[in-house]
Amino acid sequence: MAGAPRAQGSAGEPVRVPVWDGFVRLFHWSLVATLATAAASGFFGDATWVEVHLWSGIAAAALVALRVLWGFLGPTHARFGDFLAGPKAMRAHLRGLLSGGGVRHRGHNPLGGAMVLALLLVVALLAATGTIALGGVLKSGPLAFATSFATGWELRGLHRLLAFLLLGLIALHLAGVLVESRRSRENLVLALVDGRKEARAGDHPPAPRRARPVVAALLGGGLLAVSAAAVWSFAARPGLGVPSAPLDPTYAEECSACHVAYHPSLLPRASWATLMAGLDDHFGENASLDPETAAAIAAYLQANAAEAYDTKAANRLRRVAAERPFSITATPFWRRTHAGLPEALFASRPVGGRGNCEACHGDARSGRFDPTAIHVPEETTP
Amino acid sequence: MRLPTILLAVTLVATAGLALAASPVRQAILDGYAKEAGVAAFSAERGKAFFEASHAGGKPETPSCTTCHGMDPRMPGRTRAGKAIEPMAVSANPKRFTDSAFVEKWFKRNCDSVLGRPCSAAEKGDLIAYLSSL
Repeated sequence: MAGAPRAQGSAGEPVRVPVWDGFVRLFHWSLVATLATAAASGFFGDATWVEVHLWSGIAAAALVALRVLWGFLGPTHARFGDFLAGPKAMRAHLRGLLSGGGVRHRGHNPLGGAMVLALLLVVALLAATGTIALGGVLKSGPLAFATSFATGWELRGLHRLLAFLLLGLIALHLAGVLVESRRSRENLVLALVDGRKEARAGDHPPAPRRARPVVAALLGGGLLAVSAAAVWSFAARPGLGVPSAPLDPTYAEECSACHVAYHPSLLPRASWATLMAGLDDHFGENASLDPETAAAIAAYLQANAAEAYDTKAANRLRRVAAERPFSITATPFWRRTHAGLPEALFASRPVGGRGNCEACHGDARSGRFDPTAIHVPEETTP
Repeated sequence: MRLPTILLAVTLVATAGLALAASPVRQAILDGYAKEAGVAAFSAERGKAFFEASHAGGKPETPSCTTCHGMDPRMPGRTRAGKAIEPMAVSANPKRFTDSAFVEKWFKRNCDSVLGRPCSAAEKGDLIAYLSSL
């Protein structure tokens, strides 16, 4: 079939031949769905959307991994060898386009192929930076045991830049589809639904390759299983700088009589020292302790203050409001992260005040404050 | 068979009796306040009035015992931070006034918060008499 048109007979009815196999089509539309979900939850979702963002990102990464495998084991037009061209071929293709001519590729043309590679690469980089950010900032996932908050936060910035880059690439990709659809007068979107395209005279001759679906399925399944097992085992390791010991019993008993027991990592050392020096006027009440108990609690607080840990809460709450140095709810971070919540929620019976972290944060006592542990009570009537 | 049954019955009756009668520790606490105040008996009515009154001199956030403990001591109260406080009435919460260090710690704190001064032994005794009478 090399170069020969497959148009049939003299009837003139063009033959639509298989181009995009089932996996490529499923991959493409699944990637659209997962990336749309990840982008929407990432750009617009609050902390309670983290899990959706995470799982859509994991799904996108898994899809990309399988697509890479299929690029070596799939049928003709699924293979990288079919559409990855060198810069010379890309320039030649571009010249052809600009001169109004140009060869038609039934699979990806050299520019489209470069776009496929770029998209796969950027999604893979998004997955990598996302995993590092997750480990460092939220102390969750396979890299939590080794990633500092500072590193995680920087990678979060890179993750964000890559997300914008991906949006730009998607815009270019859509523009390319539009241009090529007009140029070759065919519905490229439909081709990605039923998998078929017209075979025309003068098409760039493809080098037919047979798919190896069994090998691909075994390798793909194995790859995903091994990756999942590795992620699971690494994720089980304790997070870097995450408090693991339970609260000191004396502290927990004395300091949770009137309010929830705030984890010591939620305020810096200087704030705890100021607080302990003023227990006889503690948020408008006398909360004085006998000297031995006070000394023991003060020592525990100094040893376990925000400076001793690397969680997001410990890092962010280190910056306190100058005029209210030991009000956690007065810190810039607390105010920013709780700004969207209605006053009625804090006044409601199950919450009963801004200081009642445990009402929504199921893991407040541990000092972790993982976004997946947030469950805002339904009832908002006072 | 008979001896264990009798022992069990005796234990049950004794436990119930202890729970109903004034605990020895609570009585000792009251006796201590009586001796300190130089009075023979405390008044539940005066204790009730003291518990429900709005006091001047304390911190503005807490003018009365009822600010946090509520008007009915048989019901749970609520701290200003939103945490539940177990009922103050002995009938609803038999553990009340059975640990003198605990009792003194909270009188020290709360009298300062509400009245801006330590409570007198007479005030403490009247209050415990009231909260034991409900």
